Parts: sequence; structure tokens; C-alpha cells
Amino acid sequence: MNNKRKSLMITSILVMVVIWGFIALEKGTDLFKGLDLIIFILIIVIGVIALIGAFKRDKEEKEGLTLDDELSRLIKYKSGYYAYLWSMYMWLFIFLMKDKFPNIETMLGGGILLSAAISYMAKYVVKKKLNE
Amino acid sequence: MNNRIKELRAKYNLTQLDLAKKVDVRRETIVFLEKGKYNPSLKLAYDISRVFNLSIEEIFMF
Repeated sequence: MNNKRKSLMITSILVMVVIWGFIALEKGTDLFKGLDLIIFILIIVIGVIALIGAFKRDKEEKEGLTLDDELSRLIKYKSGYYAYLWSMYMWLFIFLMKDKFPNIETMLGGGILLSAAISYMAKYVVKKKLNE
Repeated sequence: MNNRIKELRAKYNLTQLDLAKKVDVRRETIVFLEKGKYNPSLKLAYDISRVFNLSIEEIFMF
């Protein structure tokens, strides 16, 4: 793994740990209840997917393979389009359900996290239906 | 579109990784090509045909 990516990854993990440390201090055991628990799980899942992706790319780089080719670009463009479209519906749904959220920060934070989850989902769907 | 990449790879004793390196794509692209899930660009089809010393029509069947 090149130094730039390694330092970026370590910094991201440290920032996450510090932020979650503060949140855990503030909320205590309430952190693992209701909407907070869903958001916490979502962050963990997205973090794990991102880490797996980073290690996979690192392995390919070490094997001397290119990290970007015509298929990966096609997947990126298609999944980007779908993620954008689905995210718009997701935000519409979130604003319609805004009364269900305890505060605006939770609503926006959840929306941003869901956008990230949608982008991974779109990538998965595009890969599955590439030639259909 | 069908292709003979898997068969030719076996014939020339090449792994997916070897072929990916030779034509400068990711291994995943070779996997998708072999499964027939992705139709390559003309350039990639040409590069693959050069690796096996065959014409494009002999590898890719429409």
C-alpha cells in the first residue's frame, strides 16, 4: 500500500475512533438503542466495505495490475448515475419522514450514510446486471 | 457475445492474472469477459487477439 493511501486510511480510522469516543462518552449505553444503533451499524458496515475494497485494490497494485480499466470506468459511471437517482428518492423520503427523526443532525447524518450505502448497493447491482 | 478466452488461456497455460497483466486490465475484467458478462471494447478485443496470435473473429463470436 502506498504511503499516501496508508496515511489517509490511518487518519480516517483515528478520526472515526475519536468521534465515536466522544459520542460514546456523551450517550453512554443509550448509544446502542433505536436510531443511534442503526446509524452505528451502518457506519461499521460502510467502514468494513471500504476497508475490504482498499485491501483488494492494494493487493491488485502489488500484483502489478492496473487499478483503473474500461470495465471499472463503466461500472463507476453507471453506478454513479443510479446512486444519484436513488439518493434523490432517498432524500425525498427522508424529508417526508422528518418528524420521525429526533433532531436535524441525526436526519442529515443518516441521509449522508444512506447515500454511501446506496452507492455501494448501486455498484453491486450494476456488476450483477452488466450485460442485461 | 461468446468468446474462447478461457479455452485459449488454458491452451497457452496463462492464468487470469497473467492475461490481465498482458492486456493491462484488472483481473475482474477477465473474469467478466470469460463469463460473457461484459463485451470488450475494440481495443481490448484487439489486445487479447494479439496475445493469442489470432484474429478477433476467431476469439469473439457474435
